[in-house]
Amino acid sequence: MTLLHTELLSAVLFVIGLYGVLARRNAVLVLMSVELMLNAVNINLIGYAAFTDPGRVLGQVLAIFVITVAAAEVGLALAIILRLYRNRGTVNLNEINLMKW
Amino acid sequence: METLGEYILLILTALPFVGALALILFPTNRPKAVAPLVLVITSITLVLSVYVFVAYDRVAGGYQFIERYEWLPQIGASLHLGIDGIAAAMMLLNGVVAFTGTLVSWKLVTRPKDFFILFLLLVSGVYGTFASLDLLFFFFFYELAVLPMYLLIGVWGSTTDFKTFFRPKEYGALKLTLMLVAGSVLVWIALLAMWQQGSDSIGRLTFNFFDLREVAFPPTFQKIFFPFLFVGFGVLAGLWPFHTWSPDGHVAAPTSVSMLHAGVLMKLGAFGILRVGMELLPEGARSWGPVMIGLGSVNVIYGAVSALAQKDLKYVVGYSSVSHMGYVIMGLGTLDQIGINGAVMQMFSHGIMTALFFCMVGVIYERAHLRDITVLEGLSKRMGFAAAFLTIAGLASLGLPGLSGFAAELVVFIGIFRTYPILGVLAVIGAALTAVYILRLLGKVFFGPVSERWAHLTDASKLDIAAASILVGMLVLWGLYPLYIYRIIDSGVLPIAKRLVGG
Amino acid sequence: MLGMEQAWLQPAICAVAFVVIALPGRVLPRSGAWLGPLAILSAFVIFWFVLSDLLKNGPATFSFTWLEAGDVRIMWGMILDNLSVSMLGLVSFVALGVQVYSWAYMSGEPRFGWYFAVHSLFAASMMVLVLADNLLFMYIAWELVGLCSYLLIGFYYERRSAAEAAKKAFVTTRIGDVGMLIGILLLYKTVGTFDISGIIHAAQHVGEPGNPLSSVMLTVSMLLIFAGAVGKSAQFPLHVWLPDAMEGPTPVSALIHAATMVVAGVYLVARMFPAFEMAPTAMTVVAVIGLITALLMSFLAVVMTDIKRVLAYSTVSHLGFMMLALGSFGVGAAIFHLFTHAFAKAMLFLSAGSVSHGVHGKLDMREMGGLRSKMPVTFACMAIGALSLAGLFPLSGFFSKDAVLGTVLAGRGPVFFILTLVAAFFSAFYMARLVLVVFTGQPRSHEAEHAHESPVLMLIPLVALALLTIGATVLAFPIAGHANFGQFIYPAGEAEHFQLWLAGLSTVTAGAGLLMGWLIYGTHAISPSFFRDRFPAVQRVLEHKYYIDDFYQWVIDHIVLGVGGFVALFDRIVINDVGINGPGRSVVQTGNKLRLHVTGQLPNYAMVMVLGAIVIGVIWWLFAVRA
Repeated sequence: MTLLHTELLSAVLFVIGLYGVLARRNAVLVLMSVELMLNAVNINLIGYAAFTDPGRVLGQVLAIFVITVAAAEVGLALAIILRLYRNRGTVNLNEINLMKW
Repeated sequence: METLGEYILLILTALPFVGALALILFPTNRPKAVAPLVLVITSITLVLSVYVFVAYDRVAGGYQFIERYEWLPQIGASLHLGIDGIAAAMMLLNGVVAFTGTLVSWKLVTRPKDFFILFLLLVSGVYGTFASLDLLFFFFFYELAVLPMYLLIGVWGSTTDFKTFFRPKEYGALKLTLMLVAGSVLVWIALLAMWQQGSDSIGRLTFNFFDLREVAFPPTFQKIFFPFLFVGFGVLAGLWPFHTWSPDGHVAAPTSVSMLHAGVLMKLGAFGILRVGMELLPEGARSWGPVMIGLGSVNVIYGAVSALAQKDLKYVVGYSSVSHMGYVIMGLGTLDQIGINGAVMQMFSHGIMTALFFCMVGVIYERAHLRDITVLEGLSKRMGFAAAFLTIAGLASLGLPGLSGFAAELVVFIGIFRTYPILGVLAVIGAALTAVYILRLLGKVFFGPVSERWAHLTDASKLDIAAASILVGMLVLWGLYPLYIYRIIDSGVLPIAKRLVGG
Repeated sequence: MLGMEQAWLQPAICAVAFVVIALPGRVLPRSGAWLGPLAILSAFVIFWFVLSDLLKNGPATFSFTWLEAGDVRIMWGMILDNLSVSMLGLVSFVALGVQVYSWAYMSGEPRFGWYFAVHSLFAASMMVLVLADNLLFMYIAWELVGLCSYLLIGFYYERRSAAEAAKKAFVTTRIGDVGMLIGILLLYKTVGTFDISGIIHAAQHVGEPGNPLSSVMLTVSMLLIFAGAVGKSAQFPLHVWLPDAMEGPTPVSALIHAATMVVAGVYLVARMFPAFEMAPTAMTVVAVIGLITALLMSFLAVVMTDIKRVLAYSTVSHLGFMMLALGSFGVGAAIFHLFTHAFAKAMLFLSAGSVSHGVHGKLDMREMGGLRSKMPVTFACMAIGALSLAGLFPLSGFFSKDAVLGTVLAGRGPVFFILTLVAAFFSAFYMARLVLVVFTGQPRSHEAEHAHESPVLMLIPLVALALLTIGATVLAFPIAGHANFGQFIYPAGEAEHFQLWLAGLSTVTAGAGLLMGWLIYGTHAISPSFFRDRFPAVQRVLEHKYYIDDFYQWVIDHIVLGVGGFVALFDRIVINDVGINGPGRSVVQTGNKLRLHVTGQLPNYAMVMVLGAIVIGVIWWLFAVRA
């Protein structure tokens, strides 16, 4: 396993996530895709830490930060989605345009 | 009195401001106590204004009652107050109009507390502008005087609704504020440019008026930035073609706000042109003088002709203000000592006269709920005092000798005739047009048969009469004996005129 | 001791009376109106002291500073010479008579106190006008008398016609005043002074090296100043306001619109005469305007049926005589005629007031008739006044008209002279018509049948003025060391010599006019409709006052208000809607377009984010990596 492998894995994961964010219409799925993208970043961080950083800790620390923030973000986002569902009876993003002009 | 003299300008400027702050803390459930409190404040400022005017030593001339407090030395800004003869006259004007304005709005029912907070802020801003010798504070006070107007008109104003012509009060408020702020932007650009250029040549940062006066701004700089000041301040002075906020704004504004705004605030514009524009950038004024006097003459004729066709009492007065401010701009544009003297006197005289106008129009509107001169008729039977006062204001406006309007216009005319005789002819014709629309208005509204419809109207209240009497007293006093006020004004004009002549 | 130096007391007393009556007057008994006659009486008393001082010590001037700005200094000053003091006497006497008369005439009217307040203000301003030693000061008084005229014409302001007439009077005279003020300012610009003596001095040396005043400038400014006189003295073409001014109370017409204010224009030209003299073109204009006015207005007086309007047109016509005399270089003759006309016309107006008082407010002559036996005193006075104005020996009007005719012949030649005679003929004719229609024949209305003589208080001034009309004859004879009154007024001028053939000719003319009047309206030997039927077109033009009023009305309605409406519309549409609202609206519209990109669709935002990132990446690659 080389750096290239981790980079490839991360890139694939990121693109899948991006596809999910752009293509999916269900808010929960979009949220999950965002998580995929975050994890792609995590893999990248850890990969670089493992192969280039002699102390091998910096990237891992950053990854833990990302996971923490992601957890908080997911909590918040799920709450918003829940409220949206309660209020509007749907989580389809095409039908939600509260911010339209 | 020694110590009072030292702090008097600070007190004058700060007292209404502090009063406004105090009013914020005032209990909302006692609306009746608000007006007396404000009256106390404005009467103190009136007394102090009169004191400043009388105590100003015209023989010594120059700037007096100077006081200075450092504020932000890093950029050269300080609270620096002081007045010359011109500002002394303007202080008196503001004192009188603010006091009478308070009397007139005594009976205000809608949210009097909020009204008077803004009113006092405005008064404070006007005092500050006239007294500031620091460009930063000059601008600050200038804005302080302009901005409360938005709420004052938007909340307490009145909407014009002829079936064919509809102007909501919000429109008037918005237009007035936007146009004046646009003017302020131009002024601010010029002020910052002067700060930059002046500080460069002195070698330290300074907003100070005295410092900048010593700076010889390069001629190109002056020629570029004088129009910024002229147009920027000119907007507030009702300069054509940036005058349209004035009729619409004054029509929408409540009585005492119209009084203050047409009476005093429009003079801030002319005062700014004179104090900042002409005094600091004499070279610029010299090259733009013909434009000033040209636009001024357009103002005079255009305003008068427009007033001829108006149907709304307040619009007539509003356009008449445009016309009369034209004399001020013309007088300034002569760049001649006499012309400027006349312009300053016209500022004073028009301030008093127009305050009286709006005061009485307000009285009529309050009772008849209508300002349409084609409908009002024969009111003088029921409203003797209102008729008498409005007639006096009208006569002052058409330049009847014996009232201060004549003393002012005459000197403006002399100044114009000494420099541009042809435009002088136009100016005199403008005065004749004034007679036409004023007499038309008086004839339609006050004379003619007494109609049943207006039989229930009551005359002006005692407070209105008191306020109007003070204003009439001013008109008559300076109309019969203008020597005193002219000597004070002249002491302030002389140095400016000298700077305009000497290269 | 009272003397010339205290002459300012006269206007001052009247001004104080105005202030007191106008302000706290209502708490005094009878609104304090009695202060008016009292003030004018004391002014009249002071006049005699001033006069005796003048005769003893000669002319004098006094002044003090009124306004000072830079190097401009404006003084308030008095000039006391034979002309001004004589005018002072005229003003205070007629004002006194009219106020006494008004006391009875106006009793029971509303605003009794206000009436006398304005009368006092008028007396004060008129005296200032007469005394002023500089043009500006005179202009101030000039405007103030105009104001009083406005207020008094509009005294019955509940009547729409009165309010309109007041406005018309003020605006029309104001048009002349614009010219006058421009003229004054032009003179100030060139000569550097408002002082009448200074201007006259400069004018007398016009064209000399070192004198800033050129001959063209002098002519222009004199013509402009004359414009003021045209307005105030109701000369053609600004005469239209005076007949309408009859809407005011009759005593006002007597004082202001016959005896004093309207002669201010004549006084102004007389005062400035040495300067006018140096501008021949201006003098010609004065003479021509005077002649046109005298002639045209005497025709109109013939067709009017309102008793006051007949007198009004007669006044305008006689003011024309005075201007004509001035334009023919006869200051003395003009002022002499001014005096005799003032007495006679004031009396005629007061008589007309007495008549209308007797017939309960009627003014139409067609509804009067046969009043001679019912109002004998009024009849006698009116007859004396009419005959004097017609110019019948030995009344004072005969001598003054003779002086005018002599001056015109000497100064302007036979054409002017003959036309003046025509005007004099009509003057006699319409006076005869007036008296005969009102006082002889049968009463033609219910009111005329039950007419009664007026109270004594009204008759006293009438009789006093009648005596003066007769007594003013002495002015034609040597007075105070001068050949006659005319020379007393203007010593520099030549005294007119009494010419017998001229006197004969003028008497014949007057007699012919009176005879024709008698034949038509007295004996009905000629039917009144005789001329009307033969010249209907002339009649129509005359009844429409040459269509001048209609023309002015058309100009105001269509041109002045039209331009006003156009400018107002321009202001609203071009300046406001396009110039001010336009930019505002375009900002709003741009904003409206720009906000469309805010779809509210989350995927859209995400897509844009990605695209943005790609663009940034490409740019970075292009510029940072490849370079």
